[in-house]
Amino acid sequence: MPLTRRSLLSKLALAAAPGLKAADASVEEGHTLVHVFLRGGADTLNFFAPFADDRYRRLRPGLALSEREVIRLDDHYGLHPALRPLEAAWKEGRFGAVQSVGVDNTSGSHFDCQDQMEHGDSMHDTPAGGGWLGRCLRLQVGDSAGALTAVAVGRVLPECLRGAPAVSVLEKLDDLSLRSGRQGNPEHARKALAALYGAEVTLLGRRGVETLDLFQRVSALHGRAGAPENGAVYPTDPFGDGLREVARLIKARVGLRIACIDLGGWDTHFFQGGASGQQAGRIQMLAEGLAAFDLDLRAQRRRFTVMITTEFGRRLYENASLGTDHGRGFAFMALGDRVRGGRMLGSWPIQAEEDLNLNTPGPGGLHAETDFRRVFAEVLRASFDLSAGDIAKVFPGADLSPVGLMGT
Amino acid sequence: MNPTRRAWLRTAALAPAFLTGCDRLISLAGRDLLGQGVPERLNPPDGSGIDADFHLLSRAAFGPWPGDLDRLRRMGREAWLEEQLHPERIQDSACDLRAERFESLYFSAGDAYEFRKPVLRDELTRHSLLRAVYSRRQLFEVMVEFWTDHLNIDLEKGDCIYLKPSDDRDVIRRHALGNFRDLIRASATSPAMLVYLDGVSNRVRRGTQDVPNENYARELLELHTLGVDGGYSQKDVLEAARCLSGWTFDRKRFLAMNPSAAFFRPDWHDDGEKVVLGRRIPAGLGARDLDWLIDIVCGHPATARFIATKLCRRFVSPEPPESLVARLAADFEGSGGEIRPLLRMLFASPEFAASRGQLFKRPFKFLVTALRGLAADTHADKAVLEPLQRMGHGLFQYPTPDGYPDDELPWMGTLLWRWNVGFALAEGRQPGVRVDLTPLRRALARAGDGAWFRHLIGRLPDATEQAALRSDSEAEHLGLLLASPAFQRC
Repeated sequence: MPLTRRSLLSKLALAAAPGLKAADASVEEGHTLVHVFLRGGADTLNFFAPFADDRYRRLRPGLALSEREVIRLDDHYGLHPALRPLEAAWKEGRFGAVQSVGVDNTSGSHFDCQDQMEHGDSMHDTPAGGGWLGRCLRLQVGDSAGALTAVAVGRVLPECLRGAPAVSVLEKLDDLSLRSGRQGNPEHARKALAALYGAEVTLLGRRGVETLDLFQRVSALHGRAGAPENGAVYPTDPFGDGLREVARLIKARVGLRIACIDLGGWDTHFFQGGASGQQAGRIQMLAEGLAAFDLDLRAQRRRFTVMITTEFGRRLYENASLGTDHGRGFAFMALGDRVRGGRMLGSWPIQAEEDLNLNTPGPGGLHAETDFRRVFAEVLRASFDLSAGDIAKVFPGADLSPVGLMGT
Repeated sequence: MNPTRRAWLRTAALAPAFLTGCDRLISLAGRDLLGQGVPERLNPPDGSGIDADFHLLSRAAFGPWPGDLDRLRRMGREAWLEEQLHPERIQDSACDLRAERFESLYFSAGDAYEFRKPVLRDELTRHSLLRAVYSRRQLFEVMVEFWTDHLNIDLEKGDCIYLKPSDDRDVIRRHALGNFRDLIRASATSPAMLVYLDGVSNRVRRGTQDVPNENYARELLELHTLGVDGGYSQKDVLEAARCLSGWTFDRKRFLAMNPSAAFFRPDWHDDGEKVVLGRRIPAGLGARDLDWLIDIVCGHPATARFIATKLCRRFVSPEPPESLVARLAADFEGSGGEIRPLLRMLFASPEFAASRGQLFKRPFKFLVTALRGLAADTHADKAVLEPLQRMGHGLFQYPTPDGYPDDELPWMGTLLWRWNVGFALAEGRQPGVRVDLTPLRRALARAGDGAWFRHLIGRLPDATEQAALRSDSEAEHLGLLLASPAFQRC
């Protein structure tokens, strides 16, 4: 029962004042899951181009990448040249992908499919309520969630974090500061709050003092200490800026569990481009940002996993305006030490419809062969110390058997 | 305040403001004509403990609006409470002007599907915040919040976003101060609740192996009535679910008289005999099973205790005093679940009087008491609701049916955002809110030392507080006050 369990917890928290430091230390060592959402339905068929596939070349006369253009991975697939910054990670086996992942929603609607994916639901079952990461946080940290347990980079709360015990939505770390007037100098206010909360021998007093400490730690990063390491250079766009801030939070060991960041611009109905052009620019932004993040955090590589998803893939064939239309399955990607990468999981040859399929509902393109929740659950298992029962609560009723993308 | 001709003219002269939106005009009308301003003079409490009248306004209301305290003092606590227990007698036009403009709130459950989801969410949440801040029917609004948590519905689940506005209006607000049994009966057939807790798919078709969906039945017993320790068994849950089978909602129902209402499908109902909590419900009652069931669970002694305890936890102390719980439970049983006498007894009790400063303000209450204390002008647009999101208290977004918790622990992770909201309000930087300190400063000018503290917290500051809050900037002083531990409690 929530009420009694909670009051027990609050009593424990009060009783265990000196023990709190120890609990904190384990939090600081925790793993961070970085959730990257490519909004708009990314055409991942050109991320991992099946250059050797006849249908691919035949149906995309203007958009297909040739064997010469791609960074050859194996006999079937080649990386888009703009993914070169991540080539090394692929070869090291730290960057991997699963082909033909998708939601069972057949509407082809950005809104519906994003919603369903972020809520972690199936179109055929009753929604579990809230976002899947929100549910995960509630199970994982529950009442002890702090201001920096979950962070969404941007201006709005993403649906996947809805229902989380606490989320900070911020564009940059500077948002995480005490904002009292005095020409931007909060020192006087900080001291006053330290005195007021320090005088309280209650849970409120202690958590107030902890909060002040936390922000001292973050504000220490505002200066040179926060500069990227190992010569990492983040691209100067909102995505690169956001990743840099996430990396700073990971280094500051503030107990960050989940960071969400979006990259839009994938709805390439017109003039998508091939090895260069519109989509290549977005891919480059993604690859350079992630590569800089990975380099910056070289000393902390065991402490994060990046997952990269999108609401759906696109059709196999190009349309008359040299773009691609909404499809179903896409290639899910992950980056990190716990990824068993360097290979493309999922069936070969790619299961795809060449045209709008009239026998099954929904748009054509790659089949949604692997339910996205199987892959998401695998990322969760590898990232956090959650029981199988808890994972099943995050995705009730779903088949969560392993896919093989993640180790530990 | 009597609307004078001069004031009317002044407002009329501002009519062109309509060209840029009517928010400002509504604000001016509220302040100048409808008594939403700040009185000439305020007399904040000056004792070392929280003032008893201030205490009542902190719990039976969302804290005092400037002038409320002096008014309550003149009336006496008993008369004030009596007035609040009859909200229909309280004129509330200033608040109505701000809060009655949201079209989607007037639609029936089925017709609300005409609106886009963001509009529905926006209008419902803005309405709730505006009512809490500006309504003079404060106890009513406080109880609306209480029952909204008690009968929690998450807008994000299924179609709930289309159905909650009518639930808020026809279930929560209609019965907030009425009778508990009526409230639960209304909730049981509310389309929003039927969808949220899967009543829509609770069917037992003849000649099939259908097993009833127990979700709502379980929460009805565990969370809405008896409480988890209320002495029911798994068998009772199943029997209750059988009683409820057949009640559903389908807005696309062909040839329905009223597609917006829940309805009963006899062909989905298990019409055999049931035994719930030891009471027999004979076979063949059909739709009437529901009323039998609601009578049994609402009339159970465990329900009286559960509701009494929950009220004490919300309004008295995190450790509900047993003496008061027992008296409230007896009253609840005696009156058949009447809510008004329960509240009358609670707020007049010595246990209540002894509990000053023991409760922690959840983010919503923190924000509303601050806005009220500063006589802030807001139309509750996105910028004002955003801090609630940051503080983990987005309205109608709690995912599980137990509702946002009363305990303090879950809210401790987001203190920084409270502090920053406090600073932003005090310095006039909070987007979507206008705070004009001039009339308050004038009204408190002759109140003596620590006037701001006494005005917002209801007592004199102690030595530590006095030293820490000292500042040569009024805005900083006020911001610190809103950020101080004392203001997080009530």
